[in-house]
Amino acid sequence: MTTTSSISRGRAVARVIIGRTFLWAWLLVGLVPLLFMFITSIKPAGIANQIPPAWFFQPTLDNYASVLSAGGGKSESFGQLLTNSAVVSLGATALAIIVGVPAAYALTMRDFRARKGLSSWILSTYMFPPIVAVIPVFVFAGKLGLMDSYPALIIPYAAFNLPIVVWILRSSILQLPYEIQEAAMVDGASTWEVLRRIIWPLLVPSVATAAVLTIVLSWNEFLFALSLTRSGAKTAPVGLQQFTGMYGTDWGNITAAATLIVAPILVLMVVLRRQMVAGLTFGAVK
Amino acid sequence: MKATAAPLDATLTVDASHRAASRSTAGPQRRKPLTWKKRSTPWAYMAPAMFVLLLMTVAPAIFIFYSAFRNDKILGGVGKFVGLDNFITVVTNASVQHAFLITFGFVAVAVILEMILGFALALPLAAQTRANKVGAALMLLPFAVTPAVAAMVFKQLLNPNYGWVGYYLGVFGFPKGIDLLGDPTSAWIVLVILDMWQWTPFVALILMAGLQSLPGEPREAAMVDGATPWQMFRHITFPAMVPFIAIAAVLRTIQAFKTFDSFKILTGGGPGESTEIINLGIFRVGLQSFNVGLACALGVVFLIILSLLIPFMLRIIGRRADPEEM
Repeated sequence: MTTTSSISRGRAVARVIIGRTFLWAWLLVGLVPLLFMFITSIKPAGIANQIPPAWFFQPTLDNYASVLSAGGGKSESFGQLLTNSAVVSLGATALAIIVGVPAAYALTMRDFRARKGLSSWILSTYMFPPIVAVIPVFVFAGKLGLMDSYPALIIPYAAFNLPIVVWILRSSILQLPYEIQEAAMVDGASTWEVLRRIIWPLLVPSVATAAVLTIVLSWNEFLFALSLTRSGAKTAPVGLQQFTGMYGTDWGNITAAATLIVAPILVLMVVLRRQMVAGLTFGAVK
Repeated sequence: MKATAAPLDATLTVDASHRAASRSTAGPQRRKPLTWKKRSTPWAYMAPAMFVLLLMTVAPAIFIFYSAFRNDKILGGVGKFVGLDNFITVVTNASVQHAFLITFGFVAVAVILEMILGFALALPLAAQTRANKVGAALMLLPFAVTPAVAAMVFKQLLNPNYGWVGYYLGVFGFPKGIDLLGDPTSAWIVLVILDMWQWTPFVALILMAGLQSLPGEPREAAMVDGATPWQMFRHITFPAMVPFIAIAAVLRTIQAFKTFDSFKILTGGGPGESTEIINLGIFRVGLQSFNVGLACALGVVFLIILSLLIPFMLRIIGRRADPEEM
């Protein structure tokens, strides 16, 4: 009895150790690309792409300064590209929230017969492949003179994030006790007043989650930015790809730019880890 | 909460009875006729969101269905109706078939590997220890990285002359200056590894949340009854995890079909056409060769294939996110 239980305990311990070793090996190996990016970005000029890789050097911020400074024969500074990314991401987020909050509220109204069908339709648009939308949007934007402008990116980004925004907000409203709404209605409040005075204040944390997700996904978007912008509204991830031409193969500059793109996103995601996973699964995993 | 953690079909039956109950109590009270204003209010609130969504999904869908039967070129003026010519090209062209085939292959391989590895990572990560809090935060990092940046960084790491990967492989006896993106097989391995690096954490975090929500009693009961660890996993943990596995698999499948950035940046479809998945094919035909008609025909076929995923999306994600409403 004691021998069998000690054997099975030994096996259990071994299994736990194997599991944990795999987990931490994965995590550490997974950090290598990020480490490479950051370390190379603080290397002095000249040793950034030296082989064998230099591990001991005087760290410097020169690459960041050089990337962010304007002029020098470049068509646009990287600072401008980051600004474009920020404008587009925040614009898309504002649009998605402004149209998403009333929609989410409508989808919880008990008298609204079409709410189930519409909820399903909105969810199913998540499947819509962006590559199928990009050609028509390219043609429309060209006809409307919106090519290379902020709205050409803001509207598609808002649309592609609306399923997530609406579903997060809708399930948050459904979790609020309905009695609060009912009481206000009995007191003569209109639906708009209920939304404005009662639901909105309680919804702020969910709106924040939905907004952060939309910012992150818009900031990271590549296909539309690549197809619909040339210089005026070009975003940072697209600009980064042209660095090889712009700066030769200056790895210091490229990795500094890459770090500047990724850093704000990493901070947002790590801070809101739980909500991110819940949001990206449309609330199916809490 | 316990009902939602049960296997999928059990969840659905619980939902059904729930819905029936809420309908029978709420139904009669809500039968009074609605005024026009009451009927139109929700539509007014829906209108802006519907407009944005129609503009970016339904309008493009109508456009591609229309253009797929024409030979318009973006730079060549107005084309004309050409019937099924574009679709005949789609069906008969060997490189189109190749593009669809490798797209399916990529999605299948990447999603299956990510599910298996994600589960293997979620099991140790689910224990609520202090180290695992750090682990979960680290886990999230690759998945937060901008995909275009991740591809760029991988490209630098794999650079045959200056990359870390080539150098350190050389140290361990591999041929020096190896160009992993220059050979179709190794290029594919790199693309799948990049996808796994970026997305396995997403699967792992979903499954971790699932494992943490499982009730402890069945496991304890099985342990008392002397079940082996494998029996407990096979008959208790795994069945209870099926809904979470389904959620992760559906979302990853949809996302994997949308993969564009990594292929565009790392290989651009090369070497040759060996990694030109359908997303890259549509992009090249439509926005680089400006053959709108053919690109739209490809888009129609791709859209129809992806539409087949909608029922799974609604059933697995929709019902679970909102069991009482859907």
